[in-house]
Amino acid sequence: RISVHSRGCLLKEVHLNVTDLGLGYQTKEELIFRYCSGPCVEAETNYDKILNNLTHNKKLDKDTPSRTCCRPIAFDDDLSFLDDNVVYHTLKKHSARKCGCV
Amino acid sequence: TGLYFPQNEYTETVYIGQPAGTPILQVQAMLDSNSERPHFYLCGPISYRRPSYSSWFHLDINTGILSLNKTLDESDFTLSSESGASICHGDLLLHAMVLPNASKKSQCINRNSLRITLDFVNATLPTCAQTDMKELCFPHRDTSNPHIMENRFPGPLRQLRRLTRLNVCPNYTITYSVESAPFAVDDNTTELVVTAPLDREERERYRLLLVCTVRTETVITKVETSLDVFVNDEDDNAPYVNGTDTANIIISFNRTKGGSFGNLFVFDRDLTPIYPIDQSHNKYVGTLRSSDPWIKETFDIRGTFSEKIAAHGGIRQTVHNYQLVLKRNLYVTENSTVQLDYLVNDTTYPGLEGTVLLHFNVTILPVHIHFSNITHMFTLSRRSSVYAQVGRVCLEHCQQFDGFSVTYRLEVPDKNVSADVQSCYTAISITQAPDEMWGLLYVNDSAALHGPECQSLQYLVVAKEEHTKLQTNTQIHILLDGEGETIQPFQSCAMNKQQGECESVRGLGATTGRCQWRQGTEKGISENYSTCSPDLRTCPDGFCDAVESKDISICPQDCTTQTVIGGHERGLRNGIKACYGTCYCYAEKCFCEKVDVEEVICDDMCKTIIATAL
Repeated sequence: RISVHSRGCLLKEVHLNVTDLGLGYQTKEELIFRYCSGPCVEAETNYDKILNNLTHNKKLDKDTPSRTCCRPIAFDDDLSFLDDNVVYHTLKKHSARKCGCV
Repeated sequence: TGLYFPQNEYTETVYIGQPAGTPILQVQAMLDSNSERPHFYLCGPISYRRPSYSSWFHLDINTGILSLNKTLDESDFTLSSESGASICHGDLLLHAMVLPNASKKSQCINRNSLRITLDFVNATLPTCAQTDMKELCFPHRDTSNPHIMENRFPGPLRQLRRLTRLNVCPNYTITYSVESAPFAVDDNTTELVVTAPLDREERERYRLLLVCTVRTETVITKVETSLDVFVNDEDDNAPYVNGTDTANIIISFNRTKGGSFGNLFVFDRDLTPIYPIDQSHNKYVGTLRSSDPWIKETFDIRGTFSEKIAAHGGIRQTVHNYQLVLKRNLYVTENSTVQLDYLVNDTTYPGLEGTVLLHFNVTILPVHIHFSNITHMFTLSRRSSVYAQVGRVCLEHCQQFDGFSVTYRLEVPDKNVSADVQSCYTAISITQAPDEMWGLLYVNDSAALHGPECQSLQYLVVAKEEHTKLQTNTQIHILLDGEGETIQPFQSCAMNKQQGECESVRGLGATTGRCQWRQGTEKGISENYSTCSPDLRTCPDGFCDAVESKDISICPQDCTTQTVIGGHERGLRNGIKACYGTCYCYAEKCFCEKVDVEEVICDDMCKTIIATAL
């Protein structure tokens, strides 16, 4: 069966150590990190087309306004873990639950 | 009466085919005197009906021997396993009680009730060949340890023979022995006997080694098991004071309601159980022996107790601790000397001298509201920003004050000065956190510092005690230093992520006019994180002080109440205790992250190049 909506902005996941997050925590705990990735061309409007043209024709001096991009529109539940000094930490809004072109 | 079960749980196994009349086990009660006779009954616990299977068993009223009323057969086993709720895992549960005289009660009296668990096995009793020696001598699961009351009449406490196995091996002779005084085995009845009254204050636990000797025609086998016998406590010791019964107390700066003073200890060699709550064993009652209403509304005595293990002997005992407690805040002017007598009574001690008298000699000194004699001089840069901290003032001994509050205000000493000079005095304000004794001086109007007519500022700091309205004052001098700058808008120092930009910013609260950079050196999440601050002496110090709390932009590192992004540890109240890398904040929202340092660091390659060039 061919999936029609396989392109575009999707939720992906990767298995990581908490230390891989680069937040400075010293711990052996692990987590599933989910993130949003993929192009957002399908969601573009006239506004995006105009911006694209203006930037291309260098009508907007140095300004490069943000285009539609693939971002979390909901986050996973909080993640709690113990660090090596037996102190509890809780990460909030650290991993995506749902993605969207915004 | 003192009749009681030394053991409140018995277990035994019963088998199909055991004939009516077979003895199963013997329960035993400890007596209080030679004339007392125990009467044993099977009973049902309150709120339960006696289960139907209880009619299968008979408990001899005089001997305490539990025996079968009927021969157990296969149908009894199915019946008992189907009857559900009253049986756990094929166990038959019986309850028994002991009374000093005959009775018709069928409900157990809680205090003297006993549980008998019979494991009903769907098989016939093993033959002699199938039974090992240990099984013949002792039950294979024996969970209950005997507890004997101290100071009571001696007597038998446990039947050692397994009555169900009496006739399994008729050719064997089984005897028991124990070698720890004051315990022995009665050879006629094979009962374990305590031969003398016990004293818990001498020894709390006896570990007995029970030896069972099995003689067959050819061999003698010895089987050993250990048994712990515990001694229960009763209140047979009067309280006593070890050392002083008098506490000399001086109350001065700490005058707060609930404050406690002095420490007197009363010892009792008896135990004080805390469970169950309503029991009266070794309960102490204290009375303040004073009718003076002032004393009654001002002081209270708080008694607490704990269990200690005596230095010699290792026996547990009780230590009661008594402290004087203030029932109200004392005024700063109060000044008196009183003696309080407190009578401690061990209410359950049967003797005459169950009391101890404690004395609290209390001296209340008044608190003098005054500043120490030093002159308060502060130097302030004219470049200082709004909310820059100038210094702080406090009454003498203010750090020890508790139970009253002092507020500070600034006054201009000479009111007859010119309007120009008058305007200088708007420069400084004083503030105070609600629970703090310090008055913090800070820049209120930085523009007022710039005028050439403002050379040095003199103020009067007036401190007022809230309740008595007593007040005192001290003079402070603020010397202005350096040149003022043309006014630029102030920024929040905390917004800057890097040293270079930090130190070029005119920041809110900056005492030198410029923000200061702190470079953290530790790896990982550290309290000494890198950050940009208006004054490193006050921010970030992990404490949101009275000036910092006036505007969140001054020191959000200490004062933020919002969620922090990145690796961090929160402070106890507000603010951030530790951060990973650099901490920077936009308004109240703070971030902790490793910021890539753009300043070029000379790596190994670069060092080689420099070395070669030289």
